[in-house]
Amino acid sequence: MMFQLPSIRRAALFTALTMLPVAAHAQEKAKVFLSMSYIGNDWQAEATNMIKAMAASPAIAAKIALQVQVAGPSAQRQIQQINAMVQEGAKAIIVYPISPTALNRVVKNACSRGVMVIAYDAQITEPCAYDVHIDQEAAGRAGGEWLANKLGGKGNIVVITGVPGTSVDTKRTEAAKAVFTRHPGIKIVAEAPGMWSQAVARTELSKILATQSWDKIDGLWMQVGCFTADEMQLEAGIPEEKLKPCAGEGSNGGRIQMLPKGTPVDGANGAYRPMGAPRFSYASVPYSGAYALKLVLDKLGGKDVPHDTVLPLPQVTNATVKLCKTGTWKEMSEGCNVFEPSAVTNPGWFASIYSAQTPEVGLNAALKAEPEKLD
Amino acid sequence: MTTMAYAPARRRSRSGPFLVRHRGALVALTVFLVLLAVVLGLSGFSYFQFGFIASGGASLALAAIGQTFVILSGGFDLSAGAVISLVNVVLGSGMGSGAGSQIAFGLLAIVIGAAVGAFNGFFVAFVRMQPIVVTLSTMFIVQGTTLLISDKPGGTIAPGFVGFFTGDAIPSVLPAPVLVIAAAAAVWLAVKATRFGVGLYAVGSDTDAAFASGVRVTWVTFRAYVLAGAFYGLSGAFVSAQTGSSDPLVGGSMLLQIFAAVALGGTVFGGGRGGAIGSIIGAYTLMIAVNILLALNVPAFYSSVAEGVLLILAVLGGSTGRRAPLAQYLRLGALRLKARRENSLASAHRVSFASPVLPPRAPAEATADRQAPGWLTRNRANLRYTLPAYAGLAVVLVVTQVLKGHALTDPAFVNSLLVLASFLTVLALGQGAVILTGGLDLSLPWMISLVGIVVAGFVSGSDPAALWALPLGLLLGAALGAVNGLGIVLLGLPPIVMTLAMNGILQGAALVYSGGTPSGFASPGMRRVMTGHLLGATPVVWGLIGFVLAASLLLGGTIFGRRVYAVGNSPLAARFSGVGVGGTLIGVYALSGFCSALVGIMLASFNGQASLGMGDEYLLPSIAAVVVGGSLITGGRGRYPGMFGGVLLLTALSTLLAGTMLPHAVRDIIFGLVVLGAVLVLRD
Repeated sequence: MMFQLPSIRRAALFTALTMLPVAAHAQEKAKVFLSMSYIGNDWQAEATNMIKAMAASPAIAAKIALQVQVAGPSAQRQIQQINAMVQEGAKAIIVYPISPTALNRVVKNACSRGVMVIAYDAQITEPCAYDVHIDQEAAGRAGGEWLANKLGGKGNIVVITGVPGTSVDTKRTEAAKAVFTRHPGIKIVAEAPGMWSQAVARTELSKILATQSWDKIDGLWMQVGCFTADEMQLEAGIPEEKLKPCAGEGSNGGRIQMLPKGTPVDGANGAYRPMGAPRFSYASVPYSGAYALKLVLDKLGGKDVPHDTVLPLPQVTNATVKLCKTGTWKEMSEGCNVFEPSAVTNPGWFASIYSAQTPEVGLNAALKAEPEKLD
Repeated sequence: MTTMAYAPARRRSRSGPFLVRHRGALVALTVFLVLLAVVLGLSGFSYFQFGFIASGGASLALAAIGQTFVILSGGFDLSAGAVISLVNVVLGSGMGSGAGSQIAFGLLAIVIGAAVGAFNGFFVAFVRMQPIVVTLSTMFIVQGTTLLISDKPGGTIAPGFVGFFTGDAIPSVLPAPVLVIAAAAAVWLAVKATRFGVGLYAVGSDTDAAFASGVRVTWVTFRAYVLAGAFYGLSGAFVSAQTGSSDPLVGGSMLLQIFAAVALGGTVFGGGRGGAIGSIIGAYTLMIAVNILLALNVPAFYSSVAEGVLLILAVLGGSTGRRAPLAQYLRLGALRLKARRENSLASAHRVSFASPVLPPRAPAEATADRQAPGWLTRNRANLRYTLPAYAGLAVVLVVTQVLKGHALTDPAFVNSLLVLASFLTVLALGQGAVILTGGLDLSLPWMISLVGIVVAGFVSGSDPAALWALPLGLLLGAALGAVNGLGIVLLGLPPIVMTLAMNGILQGAALVYSGGTPSGFASPGMRRVMTGHLLGATPVVWGLIGFVLAASLLLGGTIFGRRVYAVGNSPLAARFSGVGVGGTLIGVYALSGFCSALVGIMLASFNGQASLGMGDEYLLPSIAAVVVGGSLITGGRGRYPGMFGGVLLLTALSTLLAGTMLPHAVRDIIFGLVVLGAVLVLRD
């Protein structure tokens, strides 16, 4: 013990010395908070990782001190949290809003105190807030149109929706159904809420298949669950060539399935393998929060930021699906959009992480919260 | 919920009866004041701060007051969150800007709440159905109705209404929410002082004694639900003002928080002890935890852990001192040790009792004409509670047959049904055993997810790895479950608080362990069990049959099973009969952890991989299946075959509804009505 003391003391001194300038520097950094809702699902955790990676990228880390907080699933608590953040002297608050309307009053109050409030993925209807999101109606419509065309305007389809009672779900589902009504040959034979989870999608599909059989279903429109639907068809003995067309989420597993049969991939297993599955893959992009942080930097730097940023809708079909080898941002910028199963072991993981606006974040950001290394 | 009841008779406290009676609320108040001091110390006091803390916890506090009425009466109300949402969308879509309209809708909020409460109260008090079944059904019916009124967030609340509830009562001096809560507290104190208030405590303490002393038990119970509903309605009105808009999902997520607030405030589940003032303090404590997490800069993945620990600590404050279970166990242990040293243990006394003289056996002929009671007679009580679930199942299957043209005649349908039911079948044993002892296991969701994620990570597609990873996962679940039991037995924590806190801690553990991205996947062998074929069925179906037999035997035919019932009926009587109450409780929670772990593994096998939050969908159904199967939520009654019937009924019903083209909202309503109808015959 006697020998260790000096080294500990030295380490403490060293820490103190190095910490001092940092601490002094931290005061110059703008205080920015992230108020998340529920983080207990794969999408939210991935989005958090990307925001953390963005915050760690040199340009942001020099100017912004980001603090991440979780409100849990209740709107009351997020209201309390945002208020507390305003009290703590936030310059900006990035929010994943639990409700598009319930936060309006607290957001308005924050705005009036000069705090920038920016919501990602879901929107806040209060006009003083900034929103970064995809066009949910376009997402629902694009998937619906692809499916209707693929089926030649005729056939029985199963619809798996998201979380009932949310704006995102209502917009996507209504837009898709509007497309289907334009095609009188398309008949929805079953519909169930999939809660944006592969696990729930499987349970709900299993229930539907207890009273329907696969031969009476021609296609599927799902908000999340195409990977699982293909997997279930294989289990039911349907050959890969006869898989039903499915319009759905941008899961990595689903996109690997879209690759032509025999494409060499590393770490394939079970249904998580290339099989040329007919698919349309769109996504709510997990990088939207990271991009929101960049917008905060712009705004704090005095730049003009639009109140409503509509991100381009990633749309991947069998013609455009392309495997990434490393998953760097540079490689993605050249058009690849799905990752090796050995790197992404969870097939439900959301693969639409590329944006031309965010060269700071690549695959490592989404998986490990590490920013891209600068060359 | 009755686990504390076996504490030995209290000795007179020197600090006076006031402190003793209000101990729970006083501890809650102390905890709240300490937390408040921390928050204010870090951020400084201002009128704005005062106003927002007052407004932030108000809706939860109002709902918790309502829930307190029901819990004091010995009930349990799951419809609270749904009522808040319903009131919110009614106000958001109907309220005009005129003063008359605002006042009318403010009153309507309370009327809607009271009406739902009256519905609950009617079935609980007059039809004598179990509160949890009634309010669960009501929850689904109200939820569906809410979605029918508004299927997405929107709506506007008039500014005057907003100002009335959340503005200033006296500018820069008194925020309006303080006045609202003070008024609510005054109503509570006034009600408590009435005959009804006295009756409420009497009914909750001992229904039979209350009845014998002339308390009109049914009316007291009925009024408890109506009053509770009115407070939920008021809470809904406050939420509307606080948010200035409507959202059909706003109340649902408050439900567990409401229970936590009541438990934190010192009200005992099972009835008779506690009060609404404590619940108000509990609600504000839960809300201020948000500020604490922010002030301490707790990292995101750890926030649910920090909250779980906070919850435990807050309640733990109430169970220290000489009367604390831990102190008692230590004292008893010391006495036992002393007795052993002095060789004065009961077992050391060799007293020989003379064999009691039995009356001579009646000759065989004499009993022959007295008909021996048949199996039906002996099991009449059990059958009465078990049959409704199966009768309901039969009806649902017939309807499926008629609508779909095939059900029981189709082996594929039966197979799918059993595979889907397998998860709840396993969970029903764990949750069922916990409920039989009068507890509730809320840690199920993240026990399932955590074990699923850990096991899938170890297995990573390898069958040989599954051979050791599966037992390890089951062991992990049982061990974590035993920790629940230890907290409840040794620290004297209410089961709801302990398991809710554990759920948060496990969520944090799963997030940290997986780094937000669960890796790993099930092995081919695991997958085959859940999705393959064996002898004309999915292999898990055969396992299911074995499980049901084993579970029925465990609860119905073993010493452990007898002890579970004994503890559930009366922990005190059980203890005097030589049942190790603590050990039994720990065993029961370990069993529940084991079952959750098994379901985690089954889900990982079924889906191919484990995902965060995959257990979220199973908490309410696990409770519902157990009570629909005839178990008493306050413990001591229920048979596993009945619970299995409940599982089959719920699964068949949701399968039938998934096969229809009815809107989701209507499916919710039908689900609620069928559950209510199926159990209508199940009366005490």
